[in-house]
Amino acid sequence: MPQRPAHVQAIRVGLANVRGLSDLRSEALDAVLLAAEEGETDDGQLVYGETEPVTHLYVVQNGRIRLERVGSSAEPVRVGPGQTFGRHVLAGVRGERATSEGPSSLVRIPEAALLEALAGKPGRPQSLQAPIGGPAPAVEGATRRARAAAQGLLRSLGGNALQCLRSPAPYRRLLGYALFFGSWYLAVEAWALPHFNRLPGITEVVHEWLSKDPTFGLSIYTPEYYAHIGSSLRRVGIAFLLATAAGVPIGLGLGASTTFREYVFPVFELLRPVPIPAWIPLAILVFSGAEAPIVFLTLLASFFATALNTFLGVRSIDSKYVLAARCLGATPWQVFRHVIVPGSLPFVLTGLQISMGVAWFSIAAAEMCSGQFGLGYVINTSYTMVKFPTIVIGMLTLGVLGFLTSAIVRLLGERLVVWRARELSMERP
Amino acid sequence: MVNLAVARAAEPRARPPSTIAILRLARPQRRALVSYFAALLVWQLGSTSGRWLGFELPLLGRVPAPSDVLLAWSHLILDPGYWQSWIASWKRVAVGFSAAVLTGVPLGLIMALNRPIWDVVFPVFELLRPIPPLAWVPVAIIFWPTQELSIDAVIFIGAFYTLVLNAVSGARSVDPRLIEVARSMGASKRNILTRLVLPGVLPSVLVGMEVSIGITWEVVVAAEMISGGGSSRAASSGGGLGFFIWNSYVGGSYPQIIVGMISIGIAGYLSSAALRAVAARLSRWNAPHGGRT
Amino acid sequence: MTAGAIAWRSVGTPRAAAVVRPHAADPDAPLRRRGAIQIVDAVKYYGVGESRVLAVDHCSLDISAGEVFVVVGPSGCGKTTLLNALAGFHPLDAGSIHLDGELLCGPGREKAPIGSDRIVVFQNGALFPWKTVLENVAFGPAMRGAIPRDELLERARRRLAEAGLQGYEQSYPGETSSGVKRRVEIVRALMNDPAVLLLDEPFRALDALTKAMMHEALIASYLRNGSTVFFITHDIEEAVFLGSRVAIMTSRPCRPKTILSVDIRYPRSRETVTSKRFRELVAEATTAVHEEALNAYALGEKEG
Repeated sequence: MPQRPAHVQAIRVGLANVRGLSDLRSEALDAVLLAAEEGETDDGQLVYGETEPVTHLYVVQNGRIRLERVGSSAEPVRVGPGQTFGRHVLAGVRGERATSEGPSSLVRIPEAALLEALAGKPGRPQSLQAPIGGPAPAVEGATRRARAAAQGLLRSLGGNALQCLRSPAPYRRLLGYALFFGSWYLAVEAWALPHFNRLPGITEVVHEWLSKDPTFGLSIYTPEYYAHIGSSLRRVGIAFLLATAAGVPIGLGLGASTTFREYVFPVFELLRPVPIPAWIPLAILVFSGAEAPIVFLTLLASFFATALNTFLGVRSIDSKYVLAARCLGATPWQVFRHVIVPGSLPFVLTGLQISMGVAWFSIAAAEMCSGQFGLGYVINTSYTMVKFPTIVIGMLTLGVLGFLTSAIVRLLGERLVVWRARELSMERP
Repeated sequence: MVNLAVARAAEPRARPPSTIAILRLARPQRRALVSYFAALLVWQLGSTSGRWLGFELPLLGRVPAPSDVLLAWSHLILDPGYWQSWIASWKRVAVGFSAAVLTGVPLGLIMALNRPIWDVVFPVFELLRPIPPLAWVPVAIIFWPTQELSIDAVIFIGAFYTLVLNAVSGARSVDPRLIEVARSMGASKRNILTRLVLPGVLPSVLVGMEVSIGITWEVVVAAEMISGGGSSRAASSGGGLGFFIWNSYVGGSYPQIIVGMISIGIAGYLSSAALRAVAARLSRWNAPHGGRT
Repeated sequence: MTAGAIAWRSVGTPRAAAVVRPHAADPDAPLRRRGAIQIVDAVKYYGVGESRVLAVDHCSLDISAGEVFVVVGPSGCGKTTLLNALAGFHPLDAGSIHLDGELLCGPGREKAPIGSDRIVVFQNGALFPWKTVLENVAFGPAMRGAIPRDELLERARRRLAEAGLQGYEQSYPGETSSGVKRRVEIVRALMNDPAVLLLDEPFRALDALTKAMMHEALIASYLRNGSTVFFITHDIEEAVFLGSRVAIMTSRPCRPKTILSVDIRYPRSRETVTSKRFRELVAEATTAVHEEALNAYALGEKEG
């Protein structure tokens, strides 16, 4: 049973008390209520005239109605709250005039609904006037769909382990790894193919990496290993944060302000084609110390990626959102804060992921050319000092760090744009 | 009927004719020129600050001045060694990049269209991808018989991943329903491949090529710097632009560093512009067949 | 006030503030105070120089406060141009627009100011995908900072519930169906109590069933709120079902050809569609639109 507003409930009670309707079944009364209309009259307003056929039964809610029979000497009749008039509706008689005395409010029931109710038939289909009460059928459908999609998502996140094991994918994945590491082992160590035999073998690398007493001085047990990792991580971290702090505002500015874009973007575009490694000598020349040039080079690469993607993000925002916000009374600053910034966020986060990737690319280049610590330095000096297994340790460590940091940026990003993630989960079949 | 007065009122207001050419340019171009000029001025004054201020400005004071760069460049224009550097770098980019296109694109297509191969190859691919291409330089030098080949190999690695991934996403973007329809209408496998899949893949592959040629230039510069310019004759001339920069730095001719940077910038810009032109051509020709949704 | 018919409405329909309709459905009712639009001799060109096209040619419309004015015309005839000029998105080349007697745009004022007295509901919807349904609905008043946040959110919740949208408050627009999105957008607009609601083919992309539901929902919110509604469509039945008056526009350049008064009372229900009067009006409108479509076609033949 839908919850009715109080005054509708009052009307219902009123109808139930009307003579002739009081013995109706509840459903029939509901049908009458659905068909009923309410309205207000002012003083002296005509409800119906003597020449009109009466088509409704009227119930007075408030006020008073004067009923006169034209051509009759009888005193006019007055009806008040709870009383009905127009009862000759079913008889098809005309000649009565109903006028409001003072403002009153009325409810009227169409002839057809009354007939149906009295005949014990159900009223007209309910859905027609439904939207005000509970959610309409289509809405319920959408809610159900949303719930089903959410459950599906949960299930896929929770990971149905059994099903996962039944599919061939994990076995193929293992096969892929086996093929890769197997051919590395066979080509370099087992068969010692020409050229390949110069490379460090997989057992050699793993043994060195996990050794408590590494032949070439670097393994997971030596503090130097972590010093190199720490130094690379610190450089990437500082550069990434600075690049984000500078790149996002500048990208937003490029996208949001035509003046700023027209002055700054040409210079930006002039600098961008110069590859980051080409900056290495200049950076060493300009910045003093070993640390600053490397951070600068890493920052430069990240900055371009972040600023450019932020700029593209602002450009990707459909102008209708800006117009809609202004229509709704937002000031230019509010448009920036509530439309430009959140609207470009998915692109900004893509930019940050790219920025993290190029940061590792640049730091490898920068550390290999200069610097006294870091994984790039490890790779380069291990080559010159013929510590070949250490080269591979350095490469793999760089790969793992790059992967982990990108994953962190991605996860943080998904946190920030919940709406995008939820939207995408709906699109999935 | 068109009201003439109204029509005239609606004309955009014409700028008053000016004799100074720069004022006749559209606003964006005017502003670009202004900002180029301002940047150049700041650079020039900053670099020469030692001469007119008595002390060097931090950072900028140590950058070679544009006037010195121009002077150095004017000498280099007639130096065949400078142009040999250009040729050497271009050759390496061409070899490494074409090798990456010829292997990466087919691999991407196969990975996208064949589920088992995808399952086997992709995890290894993802394992190797986070390793920066430059970290491969020492291994490449150890493995390949000549330094030339090892630089080519590193360039190949730099371009390879992007090309494969773009080919994959291109192949995946082809609407499977389209293929279904074609199949039900009796199209041969070959027809489906050439008329549906390839045109659908092409835009994505072209984007991948444009991105990866940019990476290629990054890699070639660094590889040339790290490996000392390739073969022994590099020391004099043929080491490529990356080596040219490094050599200028080691030799103390600092304005040449900037000449080298600008040269690489131009070279990279030219190569992507050429690719873009080809892409524009191809996609126009392709438009009616486009399989993308 | 002694004359005039009583404004009957379904039981349970909240009573709109002074439910008085200054139009065909209720000819003698008094004017609402806000939302009367006068468009006088509006002219708009597209493009510049030789190739420019006359989109709107000396178009004049007089829209009373509180009516549902529907504009019907062949696609690309310049209806949207009028709406955009009304909203302040672009200027007219000549002519003027007045809102409640005040100049919106015209001589001395190039573009109408964009503001919350005239709110546009866009063709493909412009709910902010990064804000929840509740935040979207509360957006306008929140930007103006007129109401304390808690009270505002409460009011937004109530408005959503009135429109049958409870349960969607914390959803993002991307998670809801297109019908829900469109209804939320109308609620968002009405939260600002605009003088005029501008709708640019808002239901175009919806399926027939959802569309029918939208119509009833729009009429329900119209009766609650009573803003003037300026509605663009090329669906004739939709026009007659919603409009108190329906203007049929000529194909390019755009100008009113006929203005039909729809003398069918609100609230209109699905039963209205089967009524004789409704069919007559639709037939009348269809004839006029068909003539224009033929003209447009002939024009296209000549040009192309």
